[in-house]
This record gives sequence, C-alpha cells and structure tokens, in this order.
Amino acid sequence: MNVSLKWLKEYVAHQATPDVVAQKFLEHAQEVAHVKPLSTVQGLKVGHVLSCEKHPNADKLSLTQVSLGDETLSIICGAPNVAADQKVIVAPVGVTMANGLTIEKVMLKDYPSEGMICSLEELGIDKKYHGEEGIHVLAQDAEIGADALAVMQLDDVVMELDLTPNRADLLSMFGVAYEAAALLEAPLTIPYPTIEESLLSNPMKISTQTSRCEAYYGRVLDTIEIRESPQWLKSRLIASGVRPINNVVDITNYVMLETGQPLHAFDYDALGSQEVVVREATEGETFKTLDGHIRQLKAGDILITNGNVPIALGGVMGGFDSEVETTTRSVLLESARFHPTSIRHTSRRLDLRSESSMRFERGVDPQKTRYALERATALLVQYAGATVREGIAYFDHYERKDALVELSLSRINRVLGTQLTVTEVSALLERLRFSHEPGECFYVTVPTRRQDIQTEQDLIEEVGRLYGFNQLPSTLPKLNTLGGLSPKQRRFRQLKNRLNTLGLHEAVTYALVKKETLSRFTFASSADAVQLKNPLSEDRQVLALTPLNGLVDTLRYHQSRQMTDTAFFEIGKRYTTNEENDILGLALANDALTHWQGNQAHDFYRLKGLVDHVLALYGLTATYQAVTHESYHPYQCAKIFLGDMHIGHLGALHPSVAKTYDLKHVFLAEINLTQCELHKRVNAPYVPISKTPIIQRDLALVVPKTTSAQRLIDVIEQLELTHFKDVEIFDVYEGEPLKDTERSLALRLRFNNPQKTLETAQVDEAIETVLKALKKSLNITVRDA
Amino acid sequence: MESLQHLEAQLLEALKDIKTDAALNDIKAQYVGKKGHLAAAMQTMKTLPAEERPAFGQAVNALKTVLLNHLDSHQKALNEAAMMARLEQEVIDVTLPGVPFEQGSKHILSQIIERIEDLFIGMGYLIKEGPEVESDLYNFEKLNLPADHPARDMQDSFYIDEHTLLRTHTSPVQVRTMLAYGGEKPVKIICPGKVYRRDDDDATHSHQFMQIEGLVVDEKTSMSDLKGTLLEVARTMFGADREIRLRPSYFPFTEPSVEVDVSCANCEGQGCSICKQTGWIEILGAGMVHDNVLKDAGYDPTKYQGFAFGMGVERIAMLAYKIEDIRHFYTNDQRFLTQFKDDQGGLEE
Ligand SMILES: [Zn+2]
Repeated sequence: MNVSLKWLKEYVAHQATPDVVAQKFLEHAQEVAHVKPLSTVQGLKVGHVLSCEKHPNADKLSLTQVSLGDETLSIICGAPNVAADQKVIVAPVGVTMANGLTIEKVMLKDYPSEGMICSLEELGIDKKYHGEEGIHVLAQDAEIGADALAVMQLDDVVMELDLTPNRADLLSMFGVAYEAAALLEAPLTIPYPTIEESLLSNPMKISTQTSRCEAYYGRVLDTIEIRESPQWLKSRLIASGVRPINNVVDITNYVMLETGQPLHAFDYDALGSQEVVVREATEGETFKTLDGHIRQLKAGDILITNGNVPIALGGVMGGFDSEVETTTRSVLLESARFHPTSIRHTSRRLDLRSESSMRFERGVDPQKTRYALERATALLVQYAGATVREGIAYFDHYERKDALVELSLSRINRVLGTQLTVTEVSALLERLRFSHEPGECFYVTVPTRRQDIQTEQDLIEEVGRLYGFNQLPSTLPKLNTLGGLSPKQRRFRQLKNRLNTLGLHEAVTYALVKKETLSRFTFASSADAVQLKNPLSEDRQVLALTPLNGLVDTLRYHQSRQMTDTAFFEIGKRYTTNEENDILGLALANDALTHWQGNQAHDFYRLKGLVDHVLALYGLTATYQAVTHESYHPYQCAKIFLGDMHIGHLGALHPSVAKTYDLKHVFLAEINLTQCELHKRVNAPYVPISKTPIIQRDLALVVPKTTSAQRLIDVIEQLELTHFKDVEIFDVYEGEPLKDTERSLALRLRFNNPQKTLETAQVDEAIETVLKALKKSLNITVRDA
Repeated sequence: MESLQHLEAQLLEALKDIKTDAALNDIKAQYVGKKGHLAAAMQTMKTLPAEERPAFGQAVNALKTVLLNHLDSHQKALNEAAMMARLEQEVIDVTLPGVPFEQGSKHILSQIIERIEDLFIGMGYLIKEGPEVESDLYNFEKLNLPADHPARDMQDSFYIDEHTLLRTHTSPVQVRTMLAYGGEKPVKIICPGKVYRRDDDDATHSHQFMQIEGLVVDEKTSMSDLKGTLLEVARTMFGADREIRLRPSYFPFTEPSVEVDVSCANCEGQGCSICKQTGWIEILGAGMVHDNVLKDAGYDPTKYQGFAFGMGVERIAMLAYKIEDIRHFYTNDQRFLTQFKDDQGGLEE
C-alpha cells in the first residue's frame, strides 16, 4: 500500500515528519518498505512562456522567453509542444533533476539557455502514470513564480507499507488514518458526503441468486461529462501508484483507495436492461472482460448480469460491452460485497489480480459498502457534473455485528509480562477508537473496519503493539527444567568431533536426488523411496536413500578442481515411506598428497578402520562379508553385519563407475546409525585389571587365498577355550616360498587367567586344540619356519 | 708403600690416552686384574712382617676401590662420548615439516546449530527432532493454517501426496512434542533440522535449508520472556553489544507476532550497505503461541501460554560471517568449510 502522506494529512491533523510517521508505523504497526518524496526535484517554478521562436541554428530547438514573475529567463527548449502563452514547469539554474543532473547556464548553438522547461518524467514521475511526450503544460490559472510541485500537488512523500495479510484495513486511506491517529495521538476527521438527488427516480432492480454476493448497492447518475480529473486527484492517484484515466474511473479508484471498498461504473445506456441479477457462472460459460479477452468461466465465479447477459465478472473485472467511454452520459455505480474465497479462486485462476480483487480477497469493511457509493456519488457530482437519480437500488444480506470482546487486564499483563493499569489500557483502546467499558475485565466493541480482531488474543496484540513491544522488559522464562542433549544427540556430536579429528570434513548435501541414481551407491531398495508430486527439476525429484549420492557429488566437485586429497562424511538420512533412518556416509578419495615422510593413501582397509572406529563409539564390533554391487569393485566390497543384521557396507567405487563421475580411487561406506543406536552396547560393566600376566602365542599359518581371515577367527572363537582372551591378525604374507594360491597369516592369540598365572602346559594344550580345529575345519597348517 | 701410592697417579696418566672400551679393559686388567699391579702388590705382602700385614692389606684394598672408581668414571666418560658420537649421526633438520595429522572440519551449519543448542541447553531447554516427511496435519492444520490458507499453495511446498509433504518448517516437531506431553507438562524445547521450500536455488534462496525453532509453554511465560531470550540469541551469535528490535508482524501460529531485528554489527547501528542504511538486520520471526495452536495440541489456552520463535541457520551464518551466497553451504568446497574454526561461543568466566 502506497500511502500519500499529503493525503493522510487531510484526515489526521499531525505535525510529525515523514520519517517519524514511518518510524511509528514500523515499530507499532507494519513494515515500511520505504519513505520517498514523489519527486526529489526542489526549486521548480511556474513559468509563463512569453515568446517562443524557432532557433535560427537548430531545427528542433525553440528559443523562449519565460517569465518567473520577478525575472525572465531565456530558455532553449527541445520539446515540440512548447508554445507561447503556456504555463510551464521551469527548472532554473542550480536545480537538480530526478536523474541527478544539475541545470547550468549553457550556450546552445550560439544562444544562451538559463534553465529548463520540464516534462513530468524529468521530475521523476514515471511515464506509466501520464503517458505524456514533451513538456508538461500547466493549467492557465497557475500562479507565475509559484513552486510548481506544490501547484501540481506533487510535493508529496510516499510511504510504502508491506502489509501482512491480517491488516486488510490498511488497504484504505481511512484505515491508515485510523492507525496514524492512534500512533501519533492526533485528531481524526473522516468526511461525510451529502447528496442532493434529482426528481428522476432510480429505476434499477437489483437481486442475487448466489450467497457469494452478500450486498449490492447501485445508483444511477446522469449528465456525466467525461473529462480529465482535477490535478489534486490525479496527483493523489499517482502517489498511490494508480494511473489516472478520466474523472469517472479516477473517482471510483480514488474512493476505493480511500475506503478500501472497490467500486465499478457501468455505462448505464449500454446495460441493455434496468436490472442487475448476480449469479454464479455455469461451467464453461464465456465472458468478454473490458480488456478485450474472452474468459473461460467455472462454476463458482460470480457474474453480474443484466438479467440476461453478463455485464461484469463480480469483484474481478468489468465487461467489455458496458465499459465507461468518453461518450458515456449516464452510469450505474456499483458498490458490492463479494465472498473473499470466491474472488481469490477466480482472480488466481484467470490471473486477473487487481487492486479490486486484492481488497475483496482480504475482506472489506461492511460499513463501507454504502458509504463508498455515496462518497463516489458526491465526487461525481462535484467533478463530473453528475445529477443523481433518487434512491439507491440494493440488497444487503450481510449480517453486520460489532464484535464484543472481553479483555482481561490480568491476561494482558500475564501474556505481555507487563504491569499495565486499567487507565493505561483504557487509554490505548481510546487511541485505537475502540469503544469499551474499562475494568479488570474490559468489554470492547471492535468496529467493523477491524475484521481481523475477534478474540481476546487479537486485542492483546493490539494493546501490546500500541504500547510498544520494544518497551517490554527483557526477562527469561521462570520455568525451571533440565536442559541437555539426548544420548543420541550426544553421540552424534562425538561422532562428528571424532571424524573431524581423524581428518574428515563434514558435508551437508541436498536430500533430494535424481530418481535414476537412488540405488547407485547403496544396497537399500528404491521400492520404498519417497517421490515428490511436484518437483522443481528431475535432478531433485526423490528423497535419497543414502548421503553417498551427495558425497560423491562433493568428491567430484573437488577432483574437478584438482583437489584430489579429500575425505568427507555426512550424517544424512534414508527416507522411505515408512521411516527415516540416520545414515552415516563416508567418502574418501585417494590421497595424492605425498608427504616427504611417506605416502598415506586411502584404501579399503583405512576405510574399514574408520568404520570400526565409528562402531566402537556404540560399543559394537561388526563382521564383514564380501559382496558384489554393480557400482563397486567386484573384489573390494563388503557388507557390514551386526550378528546377522546388515547395517551398511563399504567398498572401492568400481573404476568404470568412477570414470563416469570423472573420479579416481574412491572409497565409500555407509552405516545405519539408527540401527547402531538400537543395538548399542555402551556402559559395559567395569572389570578390574588382571594382576596375572597375559600369555601370548603367535601362529604363522598357510592359508588358501580363498579362505577368508574371518573364517579362521570364527573357528578359533567358536572353540570357546578356557582363559582365551582374544586373537588378532598381525601380519599377512604372500609370495615365495608360498604357492600362488596361498598366503600366510600371522595370528596372535592371547590367554589370561585373572585368578592364577597360566602354566605353559595349559597354553600349549590350548594351542594344540586350535591347530587341530583349524586343520579339521579348514585344512590349515602351521607354516614351516 | 710408596710404590702403591704411585699406582694411582700412574693409572690416571695411562687413562688419558684410553679411547676405547677394549683399551680400557686392558688397562683394567693391568691394574686390578688377577695378574695386575695390585695382585702383584698383594704377593709382596708375604714378605712383610706379620704385624704390618693387616695395615698393608687394608691399604691395598682401599687403593683398589680408588682405582676401580677411576676406571668406572672413565668407562662412563667413554660411554657418554660413544653416545654423543652416535647421536651426532642422528642430526635432523628440525625445520623440515612435521608429519601432518589431517584435520577435518565441522560444517559451519553444524557449528552454528551447536552454539545455539548450547545456549538453550544452558537455559534448560531440550532438543527435539522429528521427521522431514510430514503430514499436512502437523505441518499446517494444527498450526492454525486451515485448508484454504494462501501459505499452503502448491508453489511453496513439495508434496508427496495430498496429505504428505516435506516439512516447510520445524514447527511440526513442536506440535508433536506438545501432543506427546499430553496438554499438561510444560514445554521448553528447541527444534533444529532440515526444511524444504519449493524455491529455485539462487544466491539467497535454497530449496533445502536449516531451521531452529523454539517453544516454551507453561502458565506464565510472557512476551517479555521471549524478548529476553531472543536478546541472548542475538548476543551469542552477533556479539555482546548487540541490541534487538521487535516489529509487529503476522504469522498464523503466533499472536502477537513479531519480526526481530538485530542492531547491525558492521556499522554499530549507524547505517551501512549490509543493513540497507537502517542500522538493523532482520534475523527471525517470533510470537506468543496462538490459542488455536495450543488448543489443537491439547493445551487449555485459558491456562497455558508461551512463546515460539524460528530462525534460518543459513541466514544467521551468512550475517555472522558475511557469506554472500547460500549455495556455498551445500557445495561443501573444502576451501569454504575449513575457514570456520569451531572455536566460537561459550560464556565468559
Ligand atoms: Zn549497518
């Protein structure tokens, strides 16, 4: 809403500067987008063109003598429409124009020019508001030497309010005036029109067949003279961002801006009847709106008809055939009330959003339906020579009730955290001009112009904002509760910190991915994936099953920028139709960085170490099984298991897949942290440190390459030997003198009896058992020394 | 006896040239060995009168201790010299670079979230999370956004089906928490998480972003408490000297509703390009929980009240670090990520 502060002063008697007004609105009412003068040009004067001759040395220039009253200037003018005896806008030497250029005395083709005769555009008034070519010619009665902006009433400052949807009242100058009067504590005057009717009576019959039109008032005016509006009216429209057209259209727009009630003027003689029937359109019906377009209508659109054919799309746009034209002599002036939702649907669907439809959508003050008609009628009498037929034709089914709202003083103070008194609250309500009975409980009558206020909470907001939210004390809630992270949140923080310390960067990637890549890096099935109904693009269409999609993109981003040494993780999600699981993604790209002390390249085992490290945070030890997946190296990929539950995988990206991403040496892993959290084994009981020594024995075994290390360990662990602590693989050897099909694994077994130091014989016996078992189950023998 | 005294001086003289363990062992044998000078001296004891023998024996033994001490300290000196010689071989250039321990980085969005979480944990809040695929019921309906509300237009949200969408804010977590608390237990929570809006990505818009919302509900938490709480947020994130300004606004789920500005740290409120010459920068939206929201979540609005607020994490980060493009957060360029050291926050002792 563009508010002309000059116009506002007509209703609100105040002395505040534009900045103060804007500040009050900003702090107590609505966001102010900006406050700017309508024209920034200062020092313009009304000039009288005494003479105008063609420039002897230039075809398109004129030499003029322009009187400013106390002086006469020689001005060279390039506009073709300049002529003697005109009253014009003169910018003398020293005036800075809207484009920032300052007028200087110059010589143009041997003749001096001591100023400029201005067009409206040069004052900063956009051409869309006037369409004028050349200089602006003032009315003949303009006083020579006077301030030209003031004469044109363009000496105005515009405050643009960014309205929130609840404050429909501020879509009218009256609403803004009520607000300003409350904010500035200034007197308010609202004009009341008086109308003299002629002896001819209003012949219109008005009725409705739909409840979507709640009220309709019509007056018939004759002897209309269509002409330009007076300058003050045009200037106010321009300040409000509305283009002046002619007096009739301008007055309906002016009254809409003033009251918030949209009006429509029909050419009475083009109606084709003396009847208005409002009805809903039938599906597929068509109608030619005044912009000349044929509109396809739907059931529910509101049509104004002459009882036979449509003459307007109610609340949205008038009809082509009944538009007011320069030849119009009589008009039917309409002020009606339409259902907001219906207007919203129609105007959106047809993409016909106007000042009028916007006001109906947000809700219009029902007290203004008749008032606006009368106000416009009075102005048409004054500025269009109208005579008014006797009587208003109308129906009005709207039930107008002032809202009576109870407002408890203690609740105000409890909600705001204040200690306002009855008197203070009463004064605030007084400023809002809400009639009320003061007391511990106020009975407040909310005027219909504030349709947004219906409850006690609505009123508390009014009291609070007018009092000033910035006047409130700054306190903290008195509610004492324990704060803290949940165990899961704590673990996530630990996990992030640890992975950071281990050299991995945390990434945050988009959860929406391309459908085709859903299962590219994961074993999770795309069958349960969550797909958008209205994606913005194919690239972001489905919710990811793993953060690895985003992480691979991140690696690709870095490798394409010669940053090949990268290690990333993300705690993302697997989104399925039933649940969302937290998934840790790990992505390492081969370390090309060579330290002078040696190379620490990422490889499968480095990644596996990371996975083990993560699981250790949950007190978990996983087992691994080689698997194949089309995106991974056929011999370097494993599923991660907790018991027999698959909780993730790790592997080297298949070189040919890597190639399609322009990547090299990539290792990816995925761990389902939701499962880890469910099966976590934290807080294991304390075990005192054994006082007896740990006995360790090393075995070098020759193992077929086809036998996994895990199988050896499984065989040993399943023996459940007495005093057995653990077994680890500490060396792997391939090559001479072993066969190509063999490798040697060095195992270290550790034994301990906390009660008593173990005898050598006991350990020997255990080792014997191990060797027998390995021989028996896997046909594995000790490597000859 | 004189010859005995002479032995010590003689040994000390001989040791001066001894540079190796082998030579030292030879000397040791010459003096204190079985066939050495001392042994020879003991042989001469037999020639002495019986009454002189004990004194002579004692003198020889005392001398032996003295000689052994000399030999020992020479051995130590030799050891030390040998060690020094070896260490000299191990000379290094201490100015060569150390073995690098690659240091990863915590994403700046995580850092900001953790700082805000820590602030609120200190004030007794719990941290609540919820699903990102959300029902219309929790995302809109129970937040006083009835079916025909303009904010629910398809343009703004990613829909899965008629009743399911990607949450557009973390407010549904507040609704879920209130419902879980059964309409009686006081609520004091913040809800961080990913949210989605159907916006084309550009420098200031992202279809996915992070939000932190907060909610306090009890019988007395007021708008003044909201103001004090948000002042703490502003000061934690933007500096201890910051002030905040509350401007009336409108959100369906709160009333009164406010937008909150922080005084511009760049110009100290004087006006600059960052604050568009106003001295203030908008950082979040907030308000007192709407009666309808309380009612729909099972809390009696005549008895319970409270505040709610919500802020965009990216926006906070962009303002705090003058980051110019929201897409940087999701590109994860290492050169971007590593600039933000996780060393902010904390309260002065
Ligand atoms: Zn600034």
